[in-house]
Amino acid sequence: MTGAIGKPTPYIDAVQKVTGQAMYADDYKFPNMVYVSCLRSTESHAKIKSLELKKAEASPGVVAIVTGKDIPVPFGVLSISRDETAMAIEKVRYQGEIVAAVAAETIEAAEAGVKLINVEYEPLTEFFTPQDSLKTCTPDEQIHAHTKDHKNIHKTAELRFNEPEKELETAKHKQTGNFKFAGVTHGFTEPHSAVAMWNGDETLTIISATQVPHYLQKNLSKVLGLPLHKIQVKKPVLGGGFGGKSDPFPHEMIVSFLSKKIKRPVKCTFSREEVFITHHGRHPTEINMSLSCDDGGKITALDADIIIDGGAYGSFGVVTSYYNGVLLQGPYLIDKFGFRTRRTYTNKHQCGAMRGHGAVNPRYAVETLLDMMAHDMEMDPCDLREKNFLSDHSSTVGEFRITSNGIRDCIAAVRKKSDWDNRYGNLPYGHGLGVACGFFISGSALPILWNRYPQTVVHAKLDFDGRIVMFSGASDIGQGSDTMLVQIAAEELGIPMDFVQVEVSDTKTTPVDLGSYSSRVTFMVGNAAKSAASNIRREMAKAISKEKDTPAENITFKNGRIFTNDKSLDISWEEGVEMAMAGRGAFVESGFYISPKLGGNFKGAGAGLSPSYSFGAFISEVEVNPKTGETNVIKVWGAHDCGKALNPLAVEGQIEGSIHMGLGQTMSEEMRYKNGQQLNANFFDYRIPSSLDTPDMDVTIIESNDPEGPYGAKEAGEGPIHPVLPSIGNAVFDAVGVRMMELPITPDKVLKKIKENA
Amino acid sequence: MEYYHSPDSIKDALSMAREFDGNFIYFAGGTDVQIYRKQKLEKNEHIIDLKSIHDLNSISIKDEVLSLGAMTPLDDIIKSKEILKFFPVLVEAAKSVATPVIRKTATIGGNLLVRNRCTFYNQSQEWRNGVGSCLRDVGDICQVTGGKNDCFSRNVSDTAAALIALNAEITLINSNGMTQKPIKDIYLPCGIKFHDLDNEIILTQIRVPFSPKKWWYKKLRMRKTLDFTSLTIAATIDNQDIARICLNGVSMTPILIEEPIETLTLESLIKQARKNCKTVDNDLMPLKYRREMINVYLEEFWNSIYI
Ligand SMILES: Cc1cc2nc3c(=O)[nH]c(=O)nc-3n(C[C@H](O)[C@H](O)[C@H](O)COP(=O)(O)OP(=O)(O)OC[C@H]3O[C@@H](n4cnc5c(N)ncnc54)[C@H](O)[C@@H]3O)c2cc1C
Ligand code: SF4
Repeated sequence: MTGAIGKPTPYIDAVQKVTGQAMYADDYKFPNMVYVSCLRSTESHAKIKSLELKKAEASPGVVAIVTGKDIPVPFGVLSISRDETAMAIEKVRYQGEIVAAVAAETIEAAEAGVKLINVEYEPLTEFFTPQDSLKTCTPDEQIHAHTKDHKNIHKTAELRFNEPEKELETAKHKQTGNFKFAGVTHGFTEPHSAVAMWNGDETLTIISATQVPHYLQKNLSKVLGLPLHKIQVKKPVLGGGFGGKSDPFPHEMIVSFLSKKIKRPVKCTFSREEVFITHHGRHPTEINMSLSCDDGGKITALDADIIIDGGAYGSFGVVTSYYNGVLLQGPYLIDKFGFRTRRTYTNKHQCGAMRGHGAVNPRYAVETLLDMMAHDMEMDPCDLREKNFLSDHSSTVGEFRITSNGIRDCIAAVRKKSDWDNRYGNLPYGHGLGVACGFFISGSALPILWNRYPQTVVHAKLDFDGRIVMFSGASDIGQGSDTMLVQIAAEELGIPMDFVQVEVSDTKTTPVDLGSYSSRVTFMVGNAAKSAASNIRREMAKAISKEKDTPAENITFKNGRIFTNDKSLDISWEEGVEMAMAGRGAFVESGFYISPKLGGNFKGAGAGLSPSYSFGAFISEVEVNPKTGETNVIKVWGAHDCGKALNPLAVEGQIEGSIHMGLGQTMSEEMRYKNGQQLNANFFDYRIPSSLDTPDMDVTIIESNDPEGPYGAKEAGEGPIHPVLPSIGNAVFDAVGVRMMELPITPDKVLKKIKENA
Repeated sequence: MEYYHSPDSIKDALSMAREFDGNFIYFAGGTDVQIYRKQKLEKNEHIIDLKSIHDLNSISIKDEVLSLGAMTPLDDIIKSKEILKFFPVLVEAAKSVATPVIRKTATIGGNLLVRNRCTFYNQSQEWRNGVGSCLRDVGDICQVTGGKNDCFSRNVSDTAAALIALNAEITLINSNGMTQKPIKDIYLPCGIKFHDLDNEIILTQIRVPFSPKKWWYKKLRMRKTLDFTSLTIAATIDNQDIARICLNGVSMTPILIEEPIETLTLESLIKQARKNCKTVDNDLMPLKYRREMINVYLEEFWNSIYI
């Protein structure tokens, strides 16, 4: 690589963001705009007996009020579980669910209007634990009418290969554990916000803080009964998402409906408390898992029974149910493999996708069991893992195609850097090291809504000014995909990055991209961008070749010049542009990505299929105070195989961010509820680690050069989180000899275990 | 802003206070008050900001006696080398409050009068409507105990623990004049009315009478910064070998145990502490653990005396 690829590159929007110039959804203001405030349920599960709007309607400044009955069409990110409506109709299913929305001239008037609405509820049986939801109930008690057998089970996902249960029954070396994980939330900085406008040409424009403009467009079309071509979704600058903005949301339906109804721009921005209520975070999870090995330490079988607590609605839950199991097929070769996941509905905030989607909690379980196994078999935990790694260009039992695989380099790097071989097991009491590995998809090979189109299309435009504009529907949510588009075009065309600009995430002007989820953007959009830009190069070379009578294949684009090796051609980029434009003018080239046909033919074979997978190995060092149980993570060494770091600065940032986020779930973050009401719906009581709680980080980027990734690249945004949590848990064991089977590892739990162990 | 007032003398502040007849709140750094206003737990209309009043933020040490203006920002206390030399326990306590940014605004006076906290009370109005409110708000039962009479919200002032262990006094002024009191005497064992100062009183000075021979300080919290305390213990031993151990964050009021070191034993210390702390389950850290930590911390303090 000679250009921008592979160079640490600050994000193209970094200055705008730190100077406050960047426009987030809530920064958009339009003449005549009205503001929305939502009335939210104070009950967890109740029938709405009556809803009295008269006083609110008469309240000064109130323009319109809508309720569930006004927008009754159900929606959801997955077509198989469209179980949510914009507002509750007839009954509420969680505390905080929107019951009515008031639009008014000012936000204060809207809030005052909300206070004047009277609702009467008739309580229904509430389900707060998945155990309760697994039991049979009366039809009236069912959270959703569509669940089977009068139970509140949303989805059961089960796959089984080669009868693992039989192997486990007789295995000589076997470990079993019951694990419990609290729910956690994304904690992005920018709250949800959306502003919708009904245009003079009877079309809708919505500017929304979303990771998935395309799915929002589709769902809006359905809910509003408006053809797709009349809906424009624009994603502005986003203040983080982590999966928490990857669903279509009620407030987006509400502002759109209202703007169509009252023909004025309508805005809704959530308070932090409302962001917590909206949630869609990681499912509270209970896992019973068993793992066996032969005498040599080769894994012979793995089986898991998993219950995930989905909250009141479906969201990504069907996918989450599968990911909890299928993503255990790597980074170890396991032939006898099975799992069952049951996702229950409960009367709490709904859960969905969050960084590392579905695979974070079971990863903790399997890596803990491996550590237990190593301990019992008196083997080094790194050695045990190394005996079991999948090889590159192989296949898993569930027919995942493995291409590049840098796991061996990953573990070797952290082993060496942490001085593992000398220090593991030899540190004084209270001080420990732990290791864990990870595995994740680099984009889902199947789109969420089945279709025959490519997964993404990128347009590159060249005009007389020499500027390249990359048009992409990809959603930069802070991960740097806009910068990647610029880097790729600059690389392909051999020009400085400042010749390239982006037009992104606007369903009217940019070609469709499915969104920022499942770590798909670098791989898929990167490939499409590369091909769009190289098509521009091809067109330019063709024109220059004709004019200068030089074979096109001899022409090189580099450092802002266009030349042949013998310098018989040596012109500037601008000159080249002029030749390419002659008699033709500005032109657009297109590139797309479609993933190859992958996977088996059995039911569930599509879950977790990806054109490539990322790998990683992490080691953590902790200090535990045995008197108080307080655990201090002092250092984390992380090595992640991202194929090729297109932007090493961004990859490093993603790995560090993953360590911080993983640390939060491991040590202190937890959605705390009492009777369905969240006790800590604010950033004060929901304890994201501060800078002082964050350990030293040593990041190693491993480049395994994926054959199908753009320049060899794979994902780096989600995969690095998986090994963080179990490496800490395993380090606690090395420090004080107790197994932490429950997250977060709060001091009280550690102390209790230490006392039980004494 | 008609509700915002910024008098430049105590006299003016007091006359405003009289004029508004209880419908006001004093505002020092505002780092506590603002949150109560936002959550509609503080509904008084007028704000009397004390920032423009002169001479309320001076630090002076004479003969190892510290005089501290009530409006001194915590950050100034942390940065004062002299305070660190003679009263390190106070520096430790100030350092453990909130975050660096907040400590630049937050004052020592405001910290002494920081309001008592409870998981079921320090919430938004919508949240409180959800549970049906509580005794301290507009409801009629305590959401923690189910009782109808007592509120157990916790006093969480970290510097109060240190200053009580330092036997400090405060100067208070209202229209009747000036009074001085040991800090420990202003607090009441009630979560609702947690101090006995009438709302017109302005706290002006803090006086710390001695530099202790030994000191010890520790604060229990989930994160290393930002969090309010789940248990704070500050302890000193003076030249007459009197030990003053003050616990906060575990009861409605700071708990002081004051005894000559000669007669004190670890067992009696723990016993007194456990007896006097009315600790209930109103913090996100588990109750059992917080109680356990009282013993662990006191033991750690005890062992430190003999080093
Ligand atoms: C994120 C965050 C974290 C925090 N963490 C902590 C913590 O760890 N420990 C802790 O103790 N506090 C903490 N606080 C609370 C608060 O910041 C501190 O207690 C701070 O010291 C209060 O000082 P202030 O000057 O801002 O007080 P203000 O908010 O201005 O006032 C507090 C109270 O004292 C009264 N008051 C203030 N000065 C006077 C005076 N001179 N005379 C009469 N009445 C007066 C006010 O009327 C008000 O009732 C935290 C706050 C936040 C927002
Ligand atoms: S202790 Fe009880 S009465 Fe006091 S604030 Fe908490 S819930 Fe309310």
